[in-house]
Amino acid sequence: MLFSNVGHYSLIFGLIISVILILHSIKRLNDNNIILGKKIFYLLFSQFFTVVLSLIFLIYSFVISDFSNQTVYNNSHSTKPLFYKISGTWGNHEGSLLLWMFVLTLFIFIFFIKSKNQPKNYRLLTITFQQIIIIGFFLFLLLTSNPFNYLYPVPKEGLGLNPILQDPALAIHPPFLYLGYVGSSIIFSSSLAALIQNNVNKEWAVHIKKWILSTWIFLTLGIMLGSIWAYYELGWGGFWFWDPVENVSLMPWICLTALLHTIVVLEKKSILKTWILILSISTFTLSMSGTFLVRSGILNSVHTFANDPGRGVFILVFLLALVLLAIVIFFLYQDKNIKVEKKIFWMSKETVILINNWFMMYFLSVILVGTLYPLFLEVLTNNKISVGPPFYHKLILPFLVPFMFLMAIGPNLKWTKHNFNKINYQQILLLIVALIISFLIANLNGVNLLFVTVVIAFGFYLFFVTLKDFFEKKYNISQKLAHFAFSFFILSVLFNGIFSTEFSANMKIGDKIHFDEGIIKFKKIETYNNKNYKSLVGSFEIQDKKNNLINLNPEIRIYNQPSILTSEADIKTSFFYDKFLVFNILKDDNFFNVRYQIKPFMLWIWISILLLATSGLVSFIKKIK
Amino acid sequence: MKIIKFLLIVVFFSITLQNYLFGKENKLTVEKISKNLRCLICQGQSVYDSQSDFANSVKIIIKKKIEQGKSENEIYEFFTNKYGEWIVYDPKLNIQTVILWIFPLILFIFGGLLIIRKVFIN
Repeated sequence: MLFSNVGHYSLIFGLIISVILILHSIKRLNDNNIILGKKIFYLLFSQFFTVVLSLIFLIYSFVISDFSNQTVYNNSHSTKPLFYKISGTWGNHEGSLLLWMFVLTLFIFIFFIKSKNQPKNYRLLTITFQQIIIIGFFLFLLLTSNPFNYLYPVPKEGLGLNPILQDPALAIHPPFLYLGYVGSSIIFSSSLAALIQNNVNKEWAVHIKKWILSTWIFLTLGIMLGSIWAYYELGWGGFWFWDPVENVSLMPWICLTALLHTIVVLEKKSILKTWILILSISTFTLSMSGTFLVRSGILNSVHTFANDPGRGVFILVFLLALVLLAIVIFFLYQDKNIKVEKKIFWMSKETVILINNWFMMYFLSVILVGTLYPLFLEVLTNNKISVGPPFYHKLILPFLVPFMFLMAIGPNLKWTKHNFNKINYQQILLLIVALIISFLIANLNGVNLLFVTVVIAFGFYLFFVTLKDFFEKKYNISQKLAHFAFSFFILSVLFNGIFSTEFSANMKIGDKIHFDEGIIKFKKIETYNNKNYKSLVGSFEIQDKKNNLINLNPEIRIYNQPSILTSEADIKTSFFYDKFLVFNILKDDNFFNVRYQIKPFMLWIWISILLLATSGLVSFIKKIK
Repeated sequence: MKIIKFLLIVVFFSITLQNYLFGKENKLTVEKISKNLRCLICQGQSVYDSQSDFANSVKIIIKKKIEQGKSENEIYEFFTNKYGEWIVYDPKLNIQTVILWIFPLILFIFGGLLIIRKVFIN
């Protein structure tokens, strides 16, 4: 109880500091002293400290299972392992918002320390805008989602955490995603400040690129962790379903990736200023509206766990206010910044980056319309439609072909004006080799989709070109690595999609079934009693065509608080494929539904995304040196 | 050398082309169809992914329909007639979904025009 009170008041104190910071910043805008003293430093630090204090108290309440705290009562249970008591702190709405606040206040503090070489007023304005966002979230937290609500009489036991959230990947997935989302708020505030200060120039580009890069790395990893979790925990062997909640995390990523490319143009050529501002504002808007859509419960999704319409309205109003603010500032100050920009020569790196943005915006629009259109249609006409994987595949796959082609040749063009001297036979040769390989693969395996074959061909082309460029040292290593990782990713996903096989049957203990890929034997079931769940571990033996034996032991968990059944797949990962086995209880007691899948190149998908994130890291390290 | 390369390519292309034109039809499977149908009682799962009673009975119906020799589209149509558009993940192009399908493409054309203006006309 004491802790809850301290946590609560600490947040109110943080809110007050926000107001002081805004007033102080505005006052300092007009004076001539160009040095920002210790005052702001201490204010930002104390604000960060108030949130840290709250967070620590909440975590502590979870650890000691203090059920007088409503959040703890709703989301924890005394028999839960310590690790999940801690991660359960942000596994719920209130706690995750507190984590969000933690990252918000941490980032603006870091921004202040790391922006010493930037103009004074630009820094003050960034802090002001960021504090407006922080105030919004403080109010949201205190008014609609207070994590420190007090319960009396104190319940003896908590309601427990949804078991499928009790997972290591999911313990770190939200923090990473939040680091990404909150990073985009810094980019947002900073670009508005730069716009007002007529400061959108090369120096600003160099400075903000570090933020763009780090945000991008966190978002990339955050999305990957969520995907890995879905792969092994949701029990169907898929890693991406174009589910609305997955889409809303991908949209800011795409927008940010476009920004990451365009900021280089500003850095080198000092053009495309308006467009960069639009991208910065959009990335943040998409991050925020993602939170809104997920939290409001409007979306029908596998990932919907906690939602409340009242909260949705708050975020929506707050988001609209911020966007409106951004638009007003944009139109008031835009003209000052943008003088007539120089013409771009058609064969140049600038043009290719513009084309990259063109495709990125197309992909973004596909996902945006696919996610939102069914909602609008239902409101307007009461007709429900579903937009799923086939829609996205049809609209995205064809555009990947020219996209990957340009990804291969684009980086080798020169800035300003590329002289096209002679035909590069090496490139043509690589394209031919790529075409032949993919046609061979398709033919040997009886893939009848001409179109997929072409996509594979261009995936290989990009793969070869980037691989070749690695050996020519004059190029930017992080850029090469990123494009290489992307081709690697696309190829892995395509092969995984095409060559996955599966076998499914209802079996009872002692059954032995022959199927296309070998023989599966259901040997026995063992029952274990764990602290907060009972588990049934199945023992299966699978003999493949080459007579190799493997044993797989999938599990069914029966949780006591709340009482939920989950299936834990057993996955044997090897370099070329994953063997994935999951089983489920059927109504007929003796039988179990068994699903066995061979999923090629799963590991490569994760490796390629890690490589992508690494490329960002390499670039980031080069920037801070 | 170049001629050999050229010949090789021609050979490969003709073989593949032949396969595409005269190759066997892709086999229709329960797996393929159930991935494109929504499990109506679940939270955002496909029939393929779900183990619910609803999903299992839909899978049995799909199997029967395939055995009856129904085509893929006929099967989707059967389910839409029974449960409405909500069940298929691939929305049909009609007056209600025209914006859904066309909007990104229009945006793409518009973006292309913007780039042309930026690069060629000033």
